[in-house]
Amino acid sequence: MSDNNHKAEHSHEEHLREKHLMVDPLPRGKMNEMVMEAMTEPPTWKFWLIFGILAFVVVYFLFYKWGILIMKGQGEAGVMRPDYWGIFLVNTVFWIGISHAGTFISAILRVFKAEFRRPFTRAAELMTTFGLVQAGFSIFMHMGRVWLAYWLMPYPNQRMLWPNLHSPLTWDLLAITTYLLSSTMYLFLPLIPDMAMARDRSTGWRKTFYKTLALGFRGTEGEWTHLRNAMNIFAFAIIPVMFSVHTIVSWDFAAATRPGWSSTIFGPYFIVGALHSGMGAAVIVIAVVRGTMKNMKYFIRPEHFDAIGKLMLIISMAWAYFFFNDYMVQWYGGDKWTQQLLHFHEGGPMGWMWFSMLVCNVVVPWAILWNPKWRSTPWLVGTVGIIINVGMWFERYIIVPISVTINRMPFTWRLYKPGIEVPMGIGTLAFFILLYMAASKLIPLIPVWEVEEGQMAHEFKKFGRETVVSVSELE
Amino acid sequence: MADNISRTENSGLVSLLAVFADLAPAADAIDKLRALGLSDDHMNVISGVPVTEAMLGRPSQWTNVPRLAAGGAVLGFLGGAFLAFVTPYIYPYPIQVSTQAFIPGPPTVVVLFELTMLGMLLSTFLGVFLDSYFPNYRPMEYVKEVSDGKIAVFFMCPEESKDKFTKAMTALGAEKVEVAEVEHL
Repeated sequence: MSDNNHKAEHSHEEHLREKHLMVDPLPRGKMNEMVMEAMTEPPTWKFWLIFGILAFVVVYFLFYKWGILIMKGQGEAGVMRPDYWGIFLVNTVFWIGISHAGTFISAILRVFKAEFRRPFTRAAELMTTFGLVQAGFSIFMHMGRVWLAYWLMPYPNQRMLWPNLHSPLTWDLLAITTYLLSSTMYLFLPLIPDMAMARDRSTGWRKTFYKTLALGFRGTEGEWTHLRNAMNIFAFAIIPVMFSVHTIVSWDFAAATRPGWSSTIFGPYFIVGALHSGMGAAVIVIAVVRGTMKNMKYFIRPEHFDAIGKLMLIISMAWAYFFFNDYMVQWYGGDKWTQQLLHFHEGGPMGWMWFSMLVCNVVVPWAILWNPKWRSTPWLVGTVGIIINVGMWFERYIIVPISVTINRMPFTWRLYKPGIEVPMGIGTLAFFILLYMAASKLIPLIPVWEVEEGQMAHEFKKFGRETVVSVSELE
Repeated sequence: MADNISRTENSGLVSLLAVFADLAPAADAIDKLRALGLSDDHMNVISGVPVTEAMLGRPSQWTNVPRLAAGGAVLGFLGGAFLAFVTPYIYPYPIQVSTQAFIPGPPTVVVLFELTMLGMLLSTFLGVFLDSYFPNYRPMEYVKEVSDGKIAVFFMCPEESKDKFTKAMTALGAEKVEVAEVEHL
C-alpha cells in the first residue's frame, strides 16, 4: 500500500471517529469523570437565575393559581357550555404525548437495537416521567374538586359504589397509572449501575444519595443477569402499554358521537401525534443538554440529531397521512354538523391556528429535515422540535375546545375563551423544565455503561479498500 | 451460589481478587483458576458493563425474573378479572350503561390488559430486588476500579496456595491481585 493510500485511509478512520461516538471510545474512567463533572460542577449564576424564575412561575402560576381555582371554583377557568373541555385537557393530551418519546427512544429503539440511541436514552426516559407528572397535574386541575380524586380508585366508596369500568375516563386512570409506574421503573433500572458509578466517586450528601439509590449494586454476574432480563421484559412490555395509553386518551374523544371526534382512526392518529411531539421535545432537550452542559459534546454528536431528524421526518409524514385520512373521511361523509365543524376549523376565528398547525407539523419539518446537513445541525433540529411542539399543541387545541364549539345544538355555540388555565398551563411547562434542571444536577444524564457497552460492540471493518463501521451483537 | 462467596464463612480459605483491564485476560484467568482446581462456585466476576456468561466461559446465571414476571402477570390478570367480572355484582344495585351488556366485552379487555401489564411490570421490577438482594447496604467485597471499566475476578483459594494463585493471575495480566477487602459501599 502506498503512503498516500495509507494516509487517506487513516484520515477516513479519523473522520469516522469524529462522526460516530461508538467508534471513538475513551477509557471508562474518563467517561465517568466527564459525566460526573457535568453533573457536579457548581451551577452558574445564569442557571440559578433561570431556576429562580422557573421556581417563581411554578409557585405563582401553578400552585397559587390552583389554590385560587380550588377556592373559587371552575368559574375561574374559561370552561362553559358547550366548551366544558378546555386547556386543562389540551395540556393533559399534550403532556402524555411528550411522555411517549422516552418509551419510543428507550424501548422501541432498544428492541430494534438502534445503536444511536445509547447516549440519550436517559434524557428521553426522564422526559416520560416528568411529562406524566404534568399530565397528572393537568387532569387534576380539570377535575375541579381535586380532593375527591381518590374516588377514581377501584375500591368501594361509602355508598358501596365502585368506579364504573364502562367509562373511558376509568380506563384513563388505569392506563396512565400503569404507564407512569412502568416508565418510572424503566427509568430506574438502567440507572442503578450509573448510581453505583456516581457513589464510587462522590463524597458528602451526594455519596449518601447515590449510595441509597445504588441499592448496594456491585456489578456481579448475577446482578447484571437479573437487570438485563428485567430490562428486556420492560423494553418489550412497555411498548403496548405506551400504545394503549394514548389510544385510551383518544377514546375519551372518539367514544363520544360528536362531530369531529367520532372516528375509528383516532387511536393511531393520537399515537403518531404523540410520537411527533415527543420526538420534537426529545430533540429540544438533547440540544439543550448538549449546548449547556459540560463535556456533552463528546457524547451527543451531530450523528444523533441526524438520526432523530430522520425519525421526525418519517413521523411527520405519518402524522400528515393520518390527519388527511381523518379529514377526508369526515369531509366525504357529508354530515351537516361535521361539515359545519370543518368549515369552522379552517375559516372560523381560529382558522389561523388550523393553518399554523399544518405549517408547523408538516411544512417546516419536511422543508428542513430532508437535508442531511441541516438535520445534523443541533440548533436547527432543536428549533424544528420547538415548532413541531407548537403545532402539536395547536392540534390538541383544535381537537378539544374548538371542536366542542360546534355541536348539534347551534343555540349553545360559543367560542372558548380561556381564563386561569393559561397561567396554570405555563406553570406546568415551567415545572417540567425545573424538574429537568434539578435532575441534570442529580442524575447522570448519560448512561455511561450503555455507551461503553456499545463502544465494545463497534469496530472498523475493511471491505476491499473501504473502511466501515461494523457492529457485533454482544448479547 | 457464586454471588454469596463474600457472605460465606470458609475456614482455611482466603478470598482474593484479581483486577484485569480487559475481558480476554479475565476469561483466561477463569480458565486458569479452574485448571488450578477451583470450581465455578468459588469464583465471581464483577464488571462495570454487562459481561455475558458466554464471553467469560462461565455457567449460565439463574434468574427468577421471568418467572416472577409471569406470576405478576397472572396476579394482575386476576385483579383485572375481579374488577371487570366481580365488582359489577357487588354493587348495591345493578348499573346498566346504555345498551351495553352488563359485563361488556371491549371495556373488559381494556381493564384486563392494563392490570395484567401492571402486574407483570411491577413483579419484574420487584424480581430484580429479590434476586439481587436489593437494597443491600451491608459491607461487601468490592473494588471501585470496576466502575472504571476494570474486571474483577473474586475467588476463594486455600490459604497456603495464596502465592501460587497470585503468581498465576499476575502472569495472565492481572493489574493487581490482593486479599479481597470487605467495604461499605
